Amino acid sequence: MRIPALPIPRGADAATIEATLFDDELNQFYFEKVARWCYRPAIKLWQDLLDRGLALGLGIPLSTLPQFEAWDPELLGELKALLGHENCEPVATEPYHAVSMLLDLPLFARGMERSATGLEELCGQRPRVADTTEMLMSSDIARTLARTGFDAGLVDGRPWIMEWRSAAHLYKERGGLPLLARHFDLSDDVGYRFSNQGWDDWPLTADRYADWIASTPGDLVTLAWDFETFGEHHNVDTGIFEFLDALPDELAKRGVRCLTPSGAVDAFGGGAHALPLSPFPATWAGQHGGLEFFLGNQAQQAVFRLMTAGYGMAKLTEDPDLIDLAYLLLQSDNLHWFQWVGREGSEADVSAYFTPGEWMWLGADRLLWEHQRVYINFIDAIS
Amino acid sequence: MELESALWGEVRGRPGAGLRLRGMASVRAAECRLSHNTLEDLPVPPTFTPENLEIVFLSFEGPDQPYSQAGGLGVRVAQFTRSLARQGFSTHLVFVGDPDRPGHEVQEDGRLHLHRWCQWLSEHHRGGVYEAEIEKVHDFQDSVPAFVTFDIVAPAVAEGRRVVVMAEEWHTADALSRLSDSLHFNGLRQSCVLVWNANNDMSFHRMNWDRIGYVADFAAVSKYVKHQMWDCGVNPVVIPNGVPGERLETVDPDAVAAFRRAMDCDLWFFKLGRTDPDKGWLEAVEAIHRMRLEGLNARLVMKPGAYETHGDELYRHMVWRGLDRAEVVTDDRSVAGIATALGAAPEAAVLDLRFFVPDEILPVFYAAADGTLANSGYEPFGLVGLEAMAAGGIAYVGSTGEDYARPLQNSVVLDDAADPDEIVRFALQLKDDSVLNASIRAGARRAAELFTWEAVTPIFLTRMSHLAAGQDVVVG
Repeated sequence: MRIPALPIPRGADAATIEATLFDDELNQFYFEKVARWCYRPAIKLWQDLLDRGLALGLGIPLSTLPQFEAWDPELLGELKALLGHENCEPVATEPYHAVSMLLDLPLFARGMERSATGLEELCGQRPRVADTTEMLMSSDIARTLARTGFDAGLVDGRPWIMEWRSAAHLYKERGGLPLLARHFDLSDDVGYRFSNQGWDDWPLTADRYADWIASTPGDLVTLAWDFETFGEHHNVDTGIFEFLDALPDELAKRGVRCLTPSGAVDAFGGGAHALPLSPFPATWAGQHGGLEFFLGNQAQQAVFRLMTAGYGMAKLTEDPDLIDLAYLLLQSDNLHWFQWVGREGSEADVSAYFTPGEWMWLGADRLLWEHQRVYINFIDAIS
Repeated sequence: MELESALWGEVRGRPGAGLRLRGMASVRAAECRLSHNTLEDLPVPPTFTPENLEIVFLSFEGPDQPYSQAGGLGVRVAQFTRSLARQGFSTHLVFVGDPDRPGHEVQEDGRLHLHRWCQWLSEHHRGGVYEAEIEKVHDFQDSVPAFVTFDIVAPAVAEGRRVVVMAEEWHTADALSRLSDSLHFNGLRQSCVLVWNANNDMSFHRMNWDRIGYVADFAAVSKYVKHQMWDCGVNPVVIPNGVPGERLETVDPDAVAAFRRAMDCDLWFFKLGRTDPDKGWLEAVEAIHRMRLEGLNARLVMKPGAYETHGDELYRHMVWRGLDRAEVVTDDRSVAGIATALGAAPEAAVLDLRFFVPDEILPVFYAAADGTLANSGYEPFGLVGLEAMAAGGIAYVGSTGEDYARPLQNSVVLDDAADPDEIVRFALQLKDDSVLNASIRAGARRAAELFTWEAVTPIFLTRMSHLAAGQDVVVG
C-alpha cells in the first residue's frame, strides 16, 4: 500500500493504477528484511528438522510468489525444495491473504481453487488441506471449502469455538469438512509468548514443550504459527532457532509421532467428531479469536466498507485486471494494521508492530485518512 | 388461572405443602382432572408388552467393570436392563462404556443392546466413567438425542412399538430434554414415554427442574428420594431398585462354613462400597473397635471401592484406634481360594480385600458374616443391604431410602447411623439371641423376594403405562 495516497487519474489503465496503489520499494524492503532474518535461516532449519522426523504443512499465498521470484529467486528455489520434502506438504491458502470469504464466497472458492493449482504447479503436489486468511473459519467458509474439494480445513481451537471439546481431536463440521483444531494454548506458547520474559514459563525449552505436547490428552495436537515466528516475530537472539532445533529429538524421546495435516486427516478422519460452527468466523488473530479483531473499531469498519465498495465497483467494470486489483485491496493486513485504533494493551501492540513504521510520522488521524484515501482514489478512478 | 388454582389446590394437602408442581405431565394430569368429568372419559393406560414396547436407558454408569461401575447406578442399570431383556423386552442401554470394548454390543439373544458412548473421550481418560465428566456430559447431550431418535425410536415406531426412555441422574437430564425436542420435531414424541429418574440427590442443584419437567415425568428409587424431590418442586413416581432373581438361590452352606472357619473369631462383619462419608465407614470401624473393647474378638472384612479421599480418613481412624489392618490378596477367586486367603491372613482386626470379588462370591460373604454393615447415613435405596438380605444375611441398614427394611423382622435398622454404639448393641443382642438371628435371616430372604428385578418389572411397566396416558402417548 502506498501511503500517503497518490491521486489516480480517472480512467487510468490497470497497470498505472497498480503502480499508484502499491509501494513496491517498501514491499521489497520488508521482504528482504524478513528473508534475511527469517525465511533463509528458517527454511534451512526446517529442511533439517524434516530430515529428523518433524512434519510440516506450509501455506503460501500465491501473491508472494512473484515477490520471491523478483527479489530473491534463489530463496524461491529453497522454498520449493522445502515443499518437495517428503515430510512437507503444501496447504492451500487464500491467494492474496485477503478477506474474500467475508464478502464473496464464490470469489473465495475460485481463489482457493487457484491457490491449489498454483501450489501444485510450484511443487508438484496438490494441497488437500486448506487454511484461510488468519485462519478465519465459520460454517459457510467450511462448507465452501468442502464444495471446492478440500479434504480438510483448519480452525483455531478457541474456547468459544470448542466449548467443552478439546482441540486434541479431529473434528468434522456439519457440512462434512474435517477440521484440524489448532491447539490455541500450545501454539501461542511459541508463536506469541516465547520471547516474553514476563511470562511465568519463560524461558520455554524444547524438553518442557515436548512434555506438554506428549501429556496432552487426546489424539493429536495441531500446532500452527506464522512462518515469520522463527526469526522475525521472535528474533534470533531469543533462542527460537535453538528451541526449534532441539524439538524433534525431544518429541521423539517421548514417542510423539509427527504428521502432516493430510497425514493427520488420514490417521484420524475415520473418527472425526462433530464440531458445530456458526456463520460467525473464528480466527487465530487477537485475544478473543473472533471477527472483532478485524472489524472491531470504526476505522476498520470504514476500511471494510471501502473494500466492499471498491470490489463492487470493479466488478461493475467487468475488467478482470481491475477486479484483480480490487481483490488485492481486500488483503487482511489493511484491517489488521488498524486494530490498535482506540485501544491499548498487548493486542494493540501486536497490531501496531505490524503497521509499517515508515507511516507513523503521519500520526494516527492522518494515517487513517491516507489509508482510506487509497481506496477512495481507486473507486473514483474506475468509476 | 383456573389451571393454576387447580394445581395449587391439588398439592396443598400433601406433606411439604406449598410445593409447586412442575412438569408437563403434572399439568396434563391436572388438565385431565379438569376436563374429564366421568371415569369413562379418562385416558386408558396402555398395556405394555414385549411386543409393543422397546425400552431405552440413558445412564453414565453401566455394566463395564471396572470402568463404568462407580456405585449403585451401574449395578442398577446393568441388572435392570438384563432382566428386562430376559423378560423379552428389546432393551437399549446408552452409557459411558469402557473405551476398549465394542461401541455396540448385543447380548441376551439380541434383546439387550449396549451402546458405549463417549469412548473417544474415555480413551484418553481411563480413570473411570466420571473422569472428564463435564466433557462427557456435553458429548452425551450433543449426540445421544439424534442417535436415539433415528437409530432406536424411529425404527421401533415404524414397526408399531412404543418406546420408554428412562434417563438416569443429572448427567442425562439435558440429553432427555433435547431428545424430547428431537422427537417432537420428527413427529415421534407421542410414541415415547420420557422419564427422568433420580438415584440420589447428588447434583440436584445442577438440575433445570422446569425444563426437564416440561418434557418428562419424574421417577425416584425410593420414597425417601421422592420426598427429597418434593423440595425441588416435583413429584416423582417410585420405582424401586431390585436384585437379580438368582441372588435368592440358597447360598452353599459349605461355602458359608468355610468362610466362617477362615475368619475364626467371635463376631465378624462385612462391608463394601465407596469410601464416601455417607456410607458410614468410620462408624463401622469405630463399632468394631468398641466391640473389641468389650473383650470380643470382632473383625471387619472390608472391600472398598475405587480410591476416594475419605479412604485416607478411614485408614487414619484405624491407626488412631489401634486397629491393625491386613491386606488380603489372592489370584484364586473361588470360594476355596478366598477362604484360604482369609484364613492365611494375619489375625488383624480389619481384613482389607485387595482383589476383585466376583459377584457370585458376595452372597457367601453376606450369608457367612454376622452382619453386613450397610449402615449409610444417607442411602437413596441401598442395594447392598438388599443383596445381603437376599443371601439370607443380616443387613445393618440406615433409615433413609431402604424401603425394603423392617426393623428386626428382616434386618437391623439403625435409627442413628452416626452412633457406632447402636451397631454394637444390636450385634451383641443378636450374638446372644440365635432365634431372633435366624428369624431375621429368614425374613430377609422373604423381603428380598419382593424386590427382585422380575418383581419390580410389573411396577415399572404399570407406572410407565400410567405416565404414557399422561404424556398423551398413542398406543396403536
